Amino acid sequence: MFLALDSHEQEIANAAADFLGNEYPLQRLHPQPRDAHDLAPFCELGWLGLAAPEEAGGSDLSQVEEMLFFLEHGRVAGPMDVYAQVLGVAVAAADGALCASLVAGEASVALVVEQREGAVRIVGNAAAQYAVEVTPSHAALYAFDGSGCDEVLCLDRSVAMSIGAPGCLQEVLRLEGDSVWRKAQIDLCAMMVGVAESALAMIVAYAKERETFGRAIGAYQAVRHPCSDMAVRNEAARSQLFYAATALREGHADAAMQVDAAALLAQRAAIMNVDTNIQLHGGIGVTDEHDAHLLLKRANLLSRLAGSAKRLRATLLDVASSGDCDPT
Amino acid sequence: MNLEYSEQDNDFRARARAWLRDNIPQQRRPAHGEGAAQFDRDWQRRLYEGGWAGVNWPKEYGGLGLSALQQVIWYEECARAGAPNYINTTYVALMHAGPTIIACGTQEQKAFHLEKILSGENLWCQGFSEPNAGSDLASLKTSGVVDGDYLVVNGSKTWTTDGQHADFQELLIRTEPGSERHRGLTWVICDMKTPGITVTPIRTMLGDEHVNTTFYDDVKIPLTNVVGALGAGWKTAMSTLSFERGTGFIGDQLALFERVNQVIELAGRTRLEDGSLAIEDSGIAGRIAQIKADTMAIRAMTFAQIAEIESSGGPGPKGSIMKLLVTGTAKSLYHLVAEILGWEFMEFNGDRNDNLWSYEYLWSWVSTIAGGTSEIQREIIADQLLELPRAR
Repeated sequence: MFLALDSHEQEIANAAADFLGNEYPLQRLHPQPRDAHDLAPFCELGWLGLAAPEEAGGSDLSQVEEMLFFLEHGRVAGPMDVYAQVLGVAVAAADGALCASLVAGEASVALVVEQREGAVRIVGNAAAQYAVEVTPSHAALYAFDGSGCDEVLCLDRSVAMSIGAPGCLQEVLRLEGDSVWRKAQIDLCAMMVGVAESALAMIVAYAKERETFGRAIGAYQAVRHPCSDMAVRNEAARSQLFYAATALREGHADAAMQVDAAALLAQRAAIMNVDTNIQLHGGIGVTDEHDAHLLLKRANLLSRLAGSAKRLRATLLDVASSGDCDPT
Repeated sequence: MNLEYSEQDNDFRARARAWLRDNIPQQRRPAHGEGAAQFDRDWQRRLYEGGWAGVNWPKEYGGLGLSALQQVIWYEECARAGAPNYINTTYVALMHAGPTIIACGTQEQKAFHLEKILSGENLWCQGFSEPNAGSDLASLKTSGVVDGDYLVVNGSKTWTTDGQHADFQELLIRTEPGSERHRGLTWVICDMKTPGITVTPIRTMLGDEHVNTTFYDDVKIPLTNVVGALGAGWKTAMSTLSFERGTGFIGDQLALFERVNQVIELAGRTRLEDGSLAIEDSGIAGRIAQIKADTMAIRAMTFAQIAEIESSGGPGPKGSIMKLLVTGTAKSLYHLVAEILGWEFMEFNGDRNDNLWSYEYLWSWVSTIAGGTSEIQREIIADQLLELPRAR
């Protein structure tokens, strides 16, 4: 039992933080609000295949390492194409050639976020060759033709969003069950925790330098206490995320419940912390030039993908199936 | 990261489970009074004689010398077996006084006190807060004047939990006249039978008298009872408090998980006034799920903290995060139960054994205030973890 990063895990986290912080700082989204559909920098360093099999060009690592990467990704609201690509890799894991082409970025993957009332909603590259759909009951990889899709502006301007007819998707691979969904939830939770931690770091830095009534705002309890509450939400969300990711890797009986709990806590940390961050900044916090709204908008995108409150609470309220402290 | 227990851990768990199964007291603990204190002493003696006292105390001081993780396993098994709650009249002795004497005490103090603490022979109470020094502990005024080989103590302490049952007290006093704040304080062992001590009960809103105000009128305490150096009491006191905020509540965190599952079952069989089940109310269901998620996070944070103690040697300021989350989550849970239960909630005879939920509801404020209020915990987080500028 060791619920902290070992040295190998710490190395991966540091490498991800360096790469994303240098190449994709949050501020990149001011001059150019939309991320380019360019996976090459991620392919070169092997980030797309962390958990993919070696024969497909992956690193054969686990959910835990992938989670550490997405934690840093969330901190800078990194390109969402990476998330869709990693899910595509997961669905194609058993198909060596296809998986390899996705790990290498030779074919790209968009994300199907909704199919209802005869329409398909896509987030990501409308020119991608594939689209991936991940739900609690199944995961599917489709051949995708986005030429007939109509673009809709997304609240999170860093991503492309479009709506097409069902015919734009042709199923290629389908996996029944929730295995990819649980993995996707962990990645989403990691990104949400990254957003939530980024929001706290942002307001703490500002609270040390911004002055009102002759002293730094960070000296007022009206600012200090909400910041401390942000730290509590982050600590709970991060610890549960680490526990859930490890439980998933080790195949624990209660892993699904652990992941859903992580999702509820990560959603709360992200949504409430981006709110508090803007509020405590005051006027500058609602301007376009500031970074705060970028986190707010990303938090909404991620939270929507991780599952509704109603869905997430089902496993938690099922006492009969919830594991207890018994490891045997 | 891994969640796997070692062979020694599993072996320890199996032995703990077997022993607890055969040794849990059959009779209920009296709600309060001398009977409750005697029950606690008896249970502690049984643990001591069975070789289970002081799981993570060093072996040289009579403990088992086991890891923090095995301490958690012990609490998990206690919770599972329905063993008596360890937050009882032995708590200050085992969780405050003992660890402080181990960390800062003299050989004579260790030899005299530690075994009597482990065996349940001596109960302890705390003497830190004063009527005019609560959250601002460093403003305390109870004085000790050196007179030959003694300190002569005058003043008063309050919130002395179980002071009426205690044999000894950990007493924090001002021993340098004119000193301010945390300078000039001394941590001293006070024998509660010393002449000049008066213990006056404070009746709480729960209807019981577990806390007291303690008055000191020329109370003579030998200088050999000073723990740490004369005038260095703040340092000694902080070693005690950081211990409590770090790992002192691990057992509660685990017990809370069982309690949440009880509430889920309660909501699954309790009907609201329109005849529907409480669990079918989406507002109630959403709140229980959030509380359960927090409770699971508390467990994960416990393991994360143990890993941190292993790596860095101390719990650090994250103990304040733990206390805020544990006490806040418990409060949310009992407030929710108050809504689910309807009129049954209003039945309260003051006995925790009879009216658990109403009792815990009232107790929830004790938790968010005692041992440093939630507001003080937020200040500690802002100062020590976030390093925000101070106004104080």
